[in-house]
Amino acid sequence: MTALIPLVVMLPLIGAAGALIAGKRRQLQVIVTVVALAAVMVVSVFLLIEVDRTGALVMEVGGWAAPIGIVLVVDRLAALMLIVSAAVLLAVLLFSVGQGMADGDGETPVSIYHPTYMVLAAGVFNAFIAGDLFNLYIGFEILLVASYVLLTMGGTGPRIRAGVTYIVVSLVSSLLFLASIAMIYGALGTVNIAQISVRMAEINPSVQLTLHAMLLLAFGIKAAIFPLSFWLPDSYPTAPAPVTAVFAGLLTKVGVYAIIRTETILFPGNALGEVLLVAAFLTMIVGILGAVAQADIKRLLSFTLVSHIGYMIFGIAMGTIAGLSATIFYIVHHIIVQTTLFLTAGLIERQGGSTSINRLGGLLTAAPMIAVLYFIPALNLGGIPPFSGFLGKLALFNAGAAQPSWLIYAVMGAGALTSLLTLYALARVWNMAFWRPADEVENYESRLLDQLTEAPDNTDTEGKNSPKLMVAATAGMVALGVGLTIFAGPLYALSSRAGENLNGPGNYIDLVFPEGVE
Amino acid sequence: MLTALIVFVVASILAPVLTGWLGTRVFYLLTLVPVVGMVESIRRASAVLDGITVRESYSWIPQIGLALGVRLDVLSWVMSLIVLGVGALVLVYCARYFPATEPALGRFAGTFIAFAGAMYGLVVADDIFLLFIFWEATTVFSYLLIGHYTDRKASRGAALQALLVTTAGGLTMLVGLVLIAVDAGTPSLTGIVRDPPGGALASTAIFLILVGALSKSALVPFHFWLPAAMAAPTPVSAYLHAAAMVKAGVFLVAALAPGFADIPGWRETLVFVGVFTMLVGGWRAIKQQDLKLLLAYGTVSQLGFLTVIVGFGTRDAALAGLSLIIAHALFKSALFLVVGVIDHRAGTRDLRKLSGFGKRSPALAVIATVAVISMVGLPPAFGFVAKEAVFTAFLDSGTAVGLVALVGVAVGSVFTVAYSARFLWGAFASKPDTPQTEVADERPGILTSPGILAGGGLALGLVAPLVGDALSGYSHGFPSAAGQEDYHLALWHGLEPALVISVATMVLGIAMFLLRDRVLRAQSLVPSWVNAANGYWKAMRFIDRTAARVTARTQRGSLSFYLGVILLVMVLAVGATLTLDQPWPTEFIWWDFSGQIAIAVIMAVAAIAAVRASKRFTAVVLVGVTGYGMAALFALQGAPDLAFTQVLVETVTLVAFVLVLRRLPQRIGVAHPSHARGWLRATLAIGVGVTMALVAVLALGSRIADPISLDLASIAYEGGHGANVVNVTLVDIRGWDTMGELSVIIVAATGVASLIFLDRRIDDQPRPARVSGRKGFLLRQRPVTEPARPRGHELGDDEEEETRLAWLLAGRTLAPENRSILLEVTVRLLFHSIIVVSLFVLFSGHNAPGGGFAGGLVAGMALVARYLAGGRYELGAAVTIDAGKLLGSGLVLAVGAALVPLFFGADALTSTWFEAELWALGHVEFVTSTVFDAGVYLIIIGLMLDVLRSLGGEVDRQQEEDDPDTPNERMPKPADEKVNP
Amino acid sequence: MSATLILVILMAIMYASGVYLMLERSMTRVVLGFLLVGNATNILILVMGGRRGLAPIVGDGSSVDEFNDPLPQAFILTAIVITFGVSAFLLALIYRSWRLSQADELQDDPEDLAIAERDAAVEEELRHPDARDTEVDHLDELLAARELGDKGEQE
Repeated sequence: MTALIPLVVMLPLIGAAGALIAGKRRQLQVIVTVVALAAVMVVSVFLLIEVDRTGALVMEVGGWAAPIGIVLVVDRLAALMLIVSAAVLLAVLLFSVGQGMADGDGETPVSIYHPTYMVLAAGVFNAFIAGDLFNLYIGFEILLVASYVLLTMGGTGPRIRAGVTYIVVSLVSSLLFLASIAMIYGALGTVNIAQISVRMAEINPSVQLTLHAMLLLAFGIKAAIFPLSFWLPDSYPTAPAPVTAVFAGLLTKVGVYAIIRTETILFPGNALGEVLLVAAFLTMIVGILGAVAQADIKRLLSFTLVSHIGYMIFGIAMGTIAGLSATIFYIVHHIIVQTTLFLTAGLIERQGGSTSINRLGGLLTAAPMIAVLYFIPALNLGGIPPFSGFLGKLALFNAGAAQPSWLIYAVMGAGALTSLLTLYALARVWNMAFWRPADEVENYESRLLDQLTEAPDNTDTEGKNSPKLMVAATAGMVALGVGLTIFAGPLYALSSRAGENLNGPGNYIDLVFPEGVE
Repeated sequence: MLTALIVFVVASILAPVLTGWLGTRVFYLLTLVPVVGMVESIRRASAVLDGITVRESYSWIPQIGLALGVRLDVLSWVMSLIVLGVGALVLVYCARYFPATEPALGRFAGTFIAFAGAMYGLVVADDIFLLFIFWEATTVFSYLLIGHYTDRKASRGAALQALLVTTAGGLTMLVGLVLIAVDAGTPSLTGIVRDPPGGALASTAIFLILVGALSKSALVPFHFWLPAAMAAPTPVSAYLHAAAMVKAGVFLVAALAPGFADIPGWRETLVFVGVFTMLVGGWRAIKQQDLKLLLAYGTVSQLGFLTVIVGFGTRDAALAGLSLIIAHALFKSALFLVVGVIDHRAGTRDLRKLSGFGKRSPALAVIATVAVISMVGLPPAFGFVAKEAVFTAFLDSGTAVGLVALVGVAVGSVFTVAYSARFLWGAFASKPDTPQTEVADERPGILTSPGILAGGGLALGLVAPLVGDALSGYSHGFPSAAGQEDYHLALWHGLEPALVISVATMVLGIAMFLLRDRVLRAQSLVPSWVNAANGYWKAMRFIDRTAARVTARTQRGSLSFYLGVILLVMVLAVGATLTLDQPWPTEFIWWDFSGQIAIAVIMAVAAIAAVRASKRFTAVVLVGVTGYGMAALFALQGAPDLAFTQVLVETVTLVAFVLVLRRLPQRIGVAHPSHARGWLRATLAIGVGVTMALVAVLALGSRIADPISLDLASIAYEGGHGANVVNVTLVDIRGWDTMGELSVIIVAATGVASLIFLDRRIDDQPRPARVSGRKGFLLRQRPVTEPARPRGHELGDDEEEETRLAWLLAGRTLAPENRSILLEVTVRLLFHSIIVVSLFVLFSGHNAPGGGFAGGLVAGMALVARYLAGGRYELGAAVTIDAGKLLGSGLVLAVGAALVPLFFGADALTSTWFEAELWALGHVEFVTSTVFDAGVYLIIIGLMLDVLRSLGGEVDRQQEEDDPDTPNERMPKPADEKVNP
Repeated sequence: MSATLILVILMAIMYASGVYLMLERSMTRVVLGFLLVGNATNILILVMGGRRGLAPIVGDGSSVDEFNDPLPQAFILTAIVITFGVSAFLLALIYRSWRLSQADELQDDPEDLAIAERDAAVEEELRHPDARDTEVDHLDELLAARELGDKGEQE
C-alpha cells in the first residue's frame, strides 16, 4: 500500500513529461493529463480508505531509512487534502479544456498550459505528503514556479504586472522558508519533521520561539494572513479563469496546511496562539472590507478568499482538537466552494463580457443556468445554512465557545460579521448582475445586449457562450459543494478523526520512528 | 414530520417544471403539499393535546451537536397549523391571482413552496441549530420572493434590505445559540427550556437570541424592512408578512419564555420594545394612503403587541398570547388578500383614489369587515376573546411592568381601531369628493381564501372555550399566578375591567377616525422621530465608506509597499523574540582561514557597490562578482561540487543577463518616487540583515545534538556505491528532492519560452509551432540553405546535407561586421569535444566532483559558445531536437528511475548496482541512479536550450522586427548567396 | 557549535544589499536583489553546515569526520539550480515587460488606485452628504426601497 504514496507525485510528473513530448498535439495532451489526474484521484481514494482504517502510512523513499532518507507521510489529514485537491484539479482541468476548445489556445497555449498545470499538481501533492522539511520546501518551489508560469501565461500587460507582484512576494517567502530550514538545521542538525519535533523540545524555549516565528512568517505569506496578504488580491484576478480558480482553491490552503503541521508537530503547545487569534481577527475583517469595496467579481472573490483564511487560522489558533477538526472541515469546504465561484465567474465573463457588477445585468433571464451555478455556491460561501460554509462556521463557533476567553469571543464576533458582509457582497452581485435588467445598465457594452435586442425571448444564449464542458465542470463542482452538506456527517467524522491525529506530535513521531529517535 | 419536509423539498424542485405544463393551475396541485403536513399534525392532535410531545430525531453531525430533531408540542402544533393552513389557502388564492401570462411563475411557485417548507421546519425543529437552518432558509427565500419583480429597483432594494437586516439578527442569534447550547449542554430546545442554565453567560446568550427574534419579527428598531417588503406580490405579503415569517420571532420568544421569562431584564426589554413598536406602527399606520402599506404598519404594530404579551411569561399571558397569534394570522392574511383583489380590480391601492368600491363588490366588503371586526377586537370575533384575555393577564399580574404593558397596549389598541376604521372607509366607502372607481370584473373563486380566513376568525370566537382548553397545554408550562385560578377563554366574562378597557379603546379609536383630518395635521407637525430606515441607509453607506477607506489604506497596489510591510513584520516579530532571554553564545570564531577574509571583503564591497550602481551592466557584473566569490568560498570550504556548479551557473546567468539587458537602456531607472524614502528602505534592509545574522548565530549556538549527516558518507559509499557523497545524496539518497527540483527547472524553462514566444497573435501568418515556442528555430533556419524552399516542409534526411552545404551557417546570416570566422571555426571544432567532456563529467560525477548538473551546464556552455559565435542559426544547427522533447524525455528518465523499482516491489527511487568484467572495458560498475543523473543532464541542457533560443534567438528576431536595419542578424538576401564560397 | 562570524557578517551585508535592491521599482534591480538574497541564503546554509572541512569524497585517505557537512552542500546545490531556473524566468519577465511598455519600472495596480480614487471621492462626499457615491449603484436600489417603505408605490 505504501507503494501508492509516491505515485501521487510521479503520475502528474509523467503526465507533464507526456504533455511536453506530445508537443502541440492537443488531443494527446488532453488525454495524457486527464488520465494522469484521474489516476491520482483513484490512488488517493485508495490511500484515504487505507489510512482511515490504519491511521497512517509512511514510506521511506529509495529505501533510505529516516532521518537520512526522505519520508513521505500520509495521515488522514494529508489523504483528505490529496483527494479534495485531486478532484478540484481534475474539474478545473476539464473546465479549461472546454474553454481551450472554445477559444483556441490564445488564452492557454496547450504546450505551455498542460505540462505546467501537471507540475503544479505534483507540487501541491508533494507538499501534502512531505515528511521532511526540505522536501516540503521543494514541494512549495514546484507549485510556486509552476504558478508563476501559469499566472504570466499569455504575457499580457496586466498579467506581467500582477505576475511580478506575485512572483517577487512568493520568492521572498520561499527564501524566508529556506532560511528557516537552514536555521533549524543549524540548531537541530536535522530536517526530518518528526525528528525536528523531538529535538526542538530539547532546546531553549526562546530559541524555539524565534524559529517558530520565522517559519510562521514564511507560511503566513503563502497562506495570505493579514498583514502578509496584500499581494493576493492584486495578483490572482488577472489570470485566466481556470488558473485563478485553482490558485484560489489550493495554493493558499497549502500554506494553511503547512501552518497546521507547524503548530501541531514542529511547535506543539500553541505558543503563538494569541498572536494567531489576532491575525485571524484582522484577516477576516480587513479582507471582507476589501471585498465590499470591489465592483469586479473576480477581485471581490479574491478578497473573500483572504478573509475566509481567517476562519481557518481561528481554528488553528485555538489549538484544540475541536478547533483543528473544524478547520479541516472548513478547508475542504473552502477549497471546493471558492474554486467553484471562480469558475462561475469565468462563465459570467464569457456570458456578460465583463466581470464588473456595474456593467453586468440581466443574466438571470439570459443565462438561468449560470444563475443557479452562482447562487448556490454564493450562499455556501456566505455561510447560509444548510450549506457546508455554515456547518464549518458552526463547528468553529462551537469549538470557540468550548474554551471561553474575550479574545475568542471577539474573533467569533468578527466571524459573524465577516459572514454577514460576505453575504452582502455576494448578494449585491446577484442584485446587480443577475436581477437588474440589462437595459438599466449604463455603458453596457457586452455581447449580452445585442443578443437580447435581436432576440429578446432567446434564453438559450448561454448555450452559445458557455461550452457544455465548462458548464458541466462547474456544475460538477457545485454538486460537490452541495454534497459536502449531504454527507456532512461522515465527512465531519473523518475531519475530527484527522483532528485527533494531530493531538500532539506523539502520533506523528511514532509513525516515522516506531522504535524512537534521539 | 421529516417526511412532510422531504415532500416540500421535492415539490419545490418539481414546481418550476410542473408550472411549465400546468400554468397557474399548478398552485392547486401544490396546495396538496402543505395539506400533507396538516394531515400529519392533525393525526397527532389527540396525543399533542394530551400534553405528549411527539419527537422524531436522526443524528447528523453529532460532533457539533447537530441533529435532525423535530418535535410537536402544543405551541409548535398550533404554529404548524397556522403556517400550513394559511399557506394552503394562499396557494389557492395564487391560482386565481396570477394571470397565466405572469413571467417567472415557475420560479415563484418553487420558491413559495420552499419557503412554506422552511417555515414548517422552523416551527417543528427541536434542535436549535436545525431551527437556525430553517430560520435562515426562510430569510433567503423571502429575499427571492420580495425581489420577485426583478425589474423594479424598489423590490430589489427591499429584498436586499430584508436579507441583510434579518441575517444580521440571525448571525447574532447564532452566536447566542452556540453559547446557550454549550452552557446547557444540549442543543435541544425543549431540553434547554426544561432546565434552563442560569448565570451571566446564559443571559447574554438569551439576549443575543432575542436580537435575532426581534429583527425577524420586525420590531423597532428593525421594523423598517417590513413596509419596504411590500414590494413583494400580494400573496407573498399575505403569507410571509402576516402569518408566517414575521411570526417566527414571536414564536421563538414564546418557545423560550417558559424557561427564561424570569431572567433579569427579559420582561422589561420585551414589554418596552413591544409597546414602543406597537405605538410606532399604529401611529404610522394611521397616516398611510396605500392600503397595503397601512396593513404593513398595522402588522408592525400588532407584532409589537404580540411580543409584549407572549414575552410576559405568566400562565394567563401565555394563553392570551397564543390566542392572539392565531387571531392575527387569520385576520391579517385575510385583509392582505382582500387588498390584492382591490388592487387587481380597481388598479390602485391608494385610498384617496378609491371610492364606492363597497357597492361594486359587497361580498369583498363583508369579508373585509368580518376580518376587521376581529382585528379591532369586537365580539364575537376571536380577536375580541384574545384581547380580553390580554388585558386581564396584565391586570392580574399586579406588577409595575404589567401596568406599563396594559397602558401601552390599550393606547396601541386605540390606534388599531383608528387605522382599521380608516382601512374600511378608505377601501369601500363612497367619498363625496372622489369619482367612483372603475372596477374590473372579479375573477371567480378568488374570494374563497379570504372568506375562509376571515370566517375562521369569527368561528373560533364562538368556540373560544374549546380553543382555550386546547391551548392550555402550552400555558401550563408556566407557573400559575398565586392565589387565583387560571383564566379561561370565553366571549363573556361578565362586566369586568377588561371589557371596560375594550369599550374605551373602541370609543377613542372611533373618535380618532372621525377627527382624522385633525389627527393627520397633528401628525404632520410631529417629526417622524423613529426613522430607522434612515439608520439602515446610513449604516450601509458607512460600511461602504469604511470598506473603501480601509482598502485604500492597505491595498496600495505597489509591490515595494507590500514587500516593505512583509519584511517589517518579519524584523519586528523575529526581533521581538530576540529580546527574550536567549542563550547567546559566548565564544566566537572570527574566521576559519585567512582566505575567507579577502573573499568576504571583496564580495561585501561588490554587493554594496551593486546597490549604488546606476548602470545596468555594472550592477550585473558586480552581482556576478559576489557569485564567483561564492564559488571561491565553496571551494575553500570543502565543497568542490558547489564551486564547480556555482561557476558554471554564474557564467550562464551572466550570459542570460547580457542577452536580455542589451535591449534595455544603459542606466537603471533614475529618480523614481521611492527614492524619496531611500533611508527608510536602507533601515529596513539593514534590519533584515542584522536579524538574520543574529538568528543564525543563535541557532547554530544552540546546537546540542549531532547532525544526521555524520554517517551520510559511509551510507553513501556502501549503500549508494559512490565516493562523491554530495552527488550520491542528490541522485540517490535524497533523489526525491532532486526529482522535484527537476520539475521546477522544467516549468522554469517552459515559462521562459512562454514569455518570449507568446506574442504570436501579432503575427500575420499562423505558425502553430510558434504558439508554444517550440521548434521555432527549425522553421527559421530553413531559408538559410534554400530560401526558395516552401515553409512547412519538415526537416528530413537532407538535414546533414544542409549542414554540409552550409558548414558555417553564420556566413550567410550574420552581418559581415559582426562576424569572426576564426571564432566560429574554433567553436565548431571545440563543440563536440566539449560535449564529450560534459558526458564525462556526468558519468564520473558519482565518484568525483561533477554529475548531471555540472555535465548539463558544461554542455550548455558549448551551446552558448555556438550561439555567441554564430547566432541563432548556428544554434539551430547545433541542436536539431526540440527543447520541449529534451525536457520531457529527461523527466521520463528521472521519474522512470524512481518508478521502475516499484515494479520490483522495492520503494520508489531504490537504486541497484551492477558490476561486470567486460572483455573490452575490463571492470565496469554501473549504478542505476546514473540513469537518474542522465535525466538531470538532459533537463539542464533543455533549460539552456530554451534560454538561448528565447532570450537569444527569438529576442534577436524580435529586434529585427522592431527595427530591421540594425546591423545584427537578418534573413539572407540574394546578395549573401554570392558571398558564400 | 559557534558560527564563523566573518561569514555571518558577509551574509548580513548581502541580505541588506539584496533587500534594499528588491525594494526598488526597477525590475532589473529587483532581480539583482533576488540574486544577492539568494546567495546570502546559500552562505547561511553553508554556515549552518558548520566549519570548513575536507571535500566529502570518500577514498583518497581522508577520514569521514573531517568532511565538511555534505547535507547542507546538497541543499545548496539544489538551491543554486532552482535559483538559476527562476532567475532565467525573471529575465524573460523583464524582457517581456520591457517589450510591452518600454519601461523597466514596476507599475502600481490600477484597480487599487481606482479604489483609492473612489475613497477620495467618498471623502469629498462627506462634505456634501446629499451627493451619492457614484461607484456603488446598488445604493439607489436601497434608496428606492426606502421611498417605498415610507410612501408606498407611486404609479
